Amino acid sequence: MRFKASIQNITTFTKLTASLNSLGPLAWVKLSDDQVCFTIIPEQGTQVWAALSIDTIFETYTVQSAANNVINLEVPLGPLNRALKSALNATSAQIRLTKKDNMPLLALTIVTTSSSNTYSAFPTGGANDDGFDAPFDDLGGGGNRETIITQEVPVRVLGPDVVSGLHEPQCREPDVHIILPPLMQLKSISDRFTKLALAGARTGAGSSAARTRLDMAANMHGCLKMSIKTDAMSISSVWTDLSNPELDPSQVAGGTIGIAEHPSTRMKLLGSADGRSDQGWASVRIDGRDWGKVMSVGRLGGRVIACFCHEHALILYVYLPTDNGEDESVLTYYVSSYSA
Amino acid sequence: MDEEDEHPILTAVSSSARQLYLLLRCINFSEKAHVQISGEGLKFSVDEASAMEGSAFLSKSLFTTYTFRAPPPERNSQHQNSDSEDDPEEAEAHNLPTFQISLPALLETLQIFGLTDPNTQKPPWARDNPTSTAFSNNVLGMNNMCRIAYEAPGSPLTIVLTEATIRTTCDLTTYEPAFSDEIPFDRQSLAFKTIMRGSWLFDAISELSSTSPEKLTLWACMKGRKPYFALSSSGTLGSARVEFNNDPFDQSSRPPPANSNNPSGTAADPPLPTNLLETFQLGDPTAPLRSSYKFSLIQRAARAMSVATKVSVRMDDQGVLSLQFMIEVEPGKVSFVDFRFVPLVDDDEDEGDETMLGNGDADSEEGGATEDEDEDML
Repeated sequence: MRFKASIQNITTFTKLTASLNSLGPLAWVKLSDDQVCFTIIPEQGTQVWAALSIDTIFETYTVQSAANNVINLEVPLGPLNRALKSALNATSAQIRLTKKDNMPLLALTIVTTSSSNTYSAFPTGGANDDGFDAPFDDLGGGGNRETIITQEVPVRVLGPDVVSGLHEPQCREPDVHIILPPLMQLKSISDRFTKLALAGARTGAGSSAARTRLDMAANMHGCLKMSIKTDAMSISSVWTDLSNPELDPSQVAGGTIGIAEHPSTRMKLLGSADGRSDQGWASVRIDGRDWGKVMSVGRLGGRVIACFCHEHALILYVYLPTDNGEDESVLTYYVSSYSA
Repeated sequence: MDEEDEHPILTAVSSSARQLYLLLRCINFSEKAHVQISGEGLKFSVDEASAMEGSAFLSKSLFTTYTFRAPPPERNSQHQNSDSEDDPEEAEAHNLPTFQISLPALLETLQIFGLTDPNTQKPPWARDNPTSTAFSNNVLGMNNMCRIAYEAPGSPLTIVLTEATIRTTCDLTTYEPAFSDEIPFDRQSLAFKTIMRGSWLFDAISELSSTSPEKLTLWACMKGRKPYFALSSSGTLGSARVEFNNDPFDQSSRPPPANSNNPSGTAADPPLPTNLLETFQLGDPTAPLRSSYKFSLIQRAARAMSVATKVSVRMDDQGVLSLQFMIEVEPGKVSFVDFRFVPLVDDDEDEGDETMLGNGDADSEEGGATEDEDEDML
């Protein structure tokens, strides 16, 4: 069992682990030849199934194992995130699976140039700005001090039988799919709503603190509605002019007929584009704090499509921006709806 | 909601939710606020233990449109004294819609503007951001339109904030007004009145607050022809005093030194640099005036002090203190925020305080000018 890769995009990897870590402490990481999968299944709250193309994070990537070159690991996200943080200013970083005292661990080897060189007038070969071709040959050469940091993150190797029981949630065809506004914007408003609800609960004294149920709804006319109700107030924000992407007949079961019978086609007949109509909304009821954690993926700056299954679940597809313009990496969030 | 047909009691549109927020924030120390709607504007008032009250008046001049239709007098008969209907004046006063709302909720709502600014995450030149054009609402300054509506007695107070393609609607539950009388303040028999800059009062109060005192005592008297005004605090950790002296004879010795540094400031506001206290009136100029208030209550007005251009400090014969703050929400447009405080009942200890302040200046915070010295200077 061998895994070794150099981390090409340290910032993205750090942000990714940070936002995954807010949902759960442990991730199932599946390394295979063509992609890296991160899966978080917390006891309560939102599940994340992320499938990243190799070059989103890594380059010179090798993975070998007896089981079709697939390695399954259980990785603590907190320590991994902390380890990656120390690599933020690194000129290069490598990650590999190794063993110490018979304990499996992920070892991060981080090469940094000392900060005194950062501002030198004549950068030597080691201060390589573009981050490519790690300057190992410059080690100890010239006046350039390099520091090598090794961070070890203990992991657990999961056997194929352990992960075979884990399946991505199945969900019926969504009623409404819509491209969300920038997540940071959504988060700032939803955080404020949650705060309002908690402030209201405090006044109510006796009522439990768990009254942060956000109502999210969307229609097929580019509207997204977020609302919350407390004793003292009810507040809702409506976004208009968002877009509902067209379904691709080749991706939908039943092709063109499948689209004609798709729930979203029916929803298109209802509601209006100004968001004032009561009809045509597919809504879910979610936990405000959990939603705030989900929204933290906004720091990755991807395009987000939300699929609403009325009173059932909300599925978010976060497409990570890639250099070549193709959306190859997608994070899927499954948020289930609370009943009323 | 078909407001056009229903003739709502109030519809008001403000182009700046921020102005409303800045004023209402000054009285943000209570969960619930009383709202009274009249033809002149909206009055928000809060009180604490009937020992202090604060009110902010959102005049209709703050709104671009302000439509008030007094509700018909026959409504809501169980709450209204039917006798008063004989007197149209009184009936009208009774008819002014009054209710309570959650003030923190209102403030949070008004703050939603700006947060939704899509440009905060990306630099404005990021081309993938379709809202960043020359006609974006941010550029046009339309990013915090705020509409307030009150349909009919019993209906919620609705705040609608519109920004770019986001519309936020907040329905604030209206509660029956709690029975509470205004703290009576007799404008006709003032014991003391002075006007000064709000920031100076703020500086004084924040200076005094460092010892976390329990009591604030206000002193005012005429020293010869010279006004004397002081604030002293006392608590378990000690006491301190800040004095405000008008000194028309020696302009260089007292703050502010605006005369020498900033001639333009002098031109804009001629009386202030020479006199710390713009107006100084005593009901009875012969006797020194002293009254004490709970410090923590006065501190509640600190936010108003810090933003006010001017403050009028008044005290009536009963010792009730009124602080009226003039707040310039935008150049040439002023609003008022009022506070009233019930005085603490004087106890015997105060006599000791007075002797201490009169004789020694060890406790004084600023200048240390005792009464004797003041008289010497004349």
